[in-house]
Amino acid sequence: MNPISALSLVLALVVGATMLGLFWRSRQGHTAQVTPGAPDALTPADVGSRVAFGQNATLVQFSTAHCARCPGTQVLLAGLARSRPGVAYLDVDLTHRRDLANRFGILQTPTTLILDGAGQVRARIGGVPSRAGILQQLDDLSGSTHAQLAP
Amino acid sequence: MPSSPPDSVPQPAVRRERPHLDPRGPRFGAAITAVLLLVVVFLSLTGASVAALVLLTILAALFAWGAFAGAGRHPYGVLFKAFVRPRLGPPAALEHAAPPTFAQGVGLLVTLTGVVLGLTGLAPAVGVSAAVAFVAAFLNAVFDYCLGCQLYLLLVRAGILGRGPAAGS
Repeated sequence: MNPISALSLVLALVVGATMLGLFWRSRQGHTAQVTPGAPDALTPADVGSRVAFGQNATLVQFSTAHCARCPGTQVLLAGLARSRPGVAYLDVDLTHRRDLANRFGILQTPTTLILDGAGQVRARIGGVPSRAGILQQLDDLSGSTHAQLAP
Repeated sequence: MPSSPPDSVPQPAVRRERPHLDPRGPRFGAAITAVLLLVVVFLSLTGASVAALVLLTILAALFAWGAFAGAGRHPYGVLFKAFVRPRLGPPAALEHAAPPTFAQGVGLLVTLTGVVLGLTGLAPAVGVSAAVAFVAAFLNAVFDYCLGCQLYLLLVRAGILGRGPAAGS
């Protein structure tokens, strides 16, 4: 192959990888709403937690021992949970909970589930969540009871 | 000089060579690796098979270094500490050495496959394995994507790594 064609192929590889990266980044922190009533209400025992779930919401983070962004996410979510009354946070190491990884079809870490007060999964965030995104979800959850009263 | 902060979160026994690492170190190394892998792809495409194979072998050896000595002891990490880190501010957060070390192992597997196939006479395999490894190194360097982390999770799900809930804790 002549150098010009080879160089174009190399360039195409870089462009392809860049597009892949941009796509991945655009999906980071993406929040999927989960319709309430789905048959996967969680209990603290399900995730091996001795900590009770939050009255208003619980943030469940799925991590592994090999996860570069999990410790940062842990700091973010634990801090948010502390700043909100009735919100609990717990971290599940999937290295020891393959069953949960398969049950929820976890494809990346961190993945965060947001549970309502009843333990129902209400939202699922793949990748590193944004502070604003989590706060929005928590507002929606804690406000949902009031919202029904509003006209 | 910030020393490693105490581990506040007790974690199960995981092979961990260094408790904490500046995450920009491995990304800096991945950038160098990505450029060199691109050179391998170019050499392979232009028919410089021997040069491509030699460079890929060197890169595989560097991956082996990182995979066995730990990401914190990689030669690029030494370069980073000596010349790059002094010019940067402190990192936003420190990370464990385990994920980048695992990633080095993945890189070793991919590049070594190319080297072995190249040695057996399948010259295009050198370029292909370099291209695959390039994508991973490039995504790591530019987008902070951790392929090793994702593969690790998938291996746990496949039951190859990790333990089930039955393991008493």
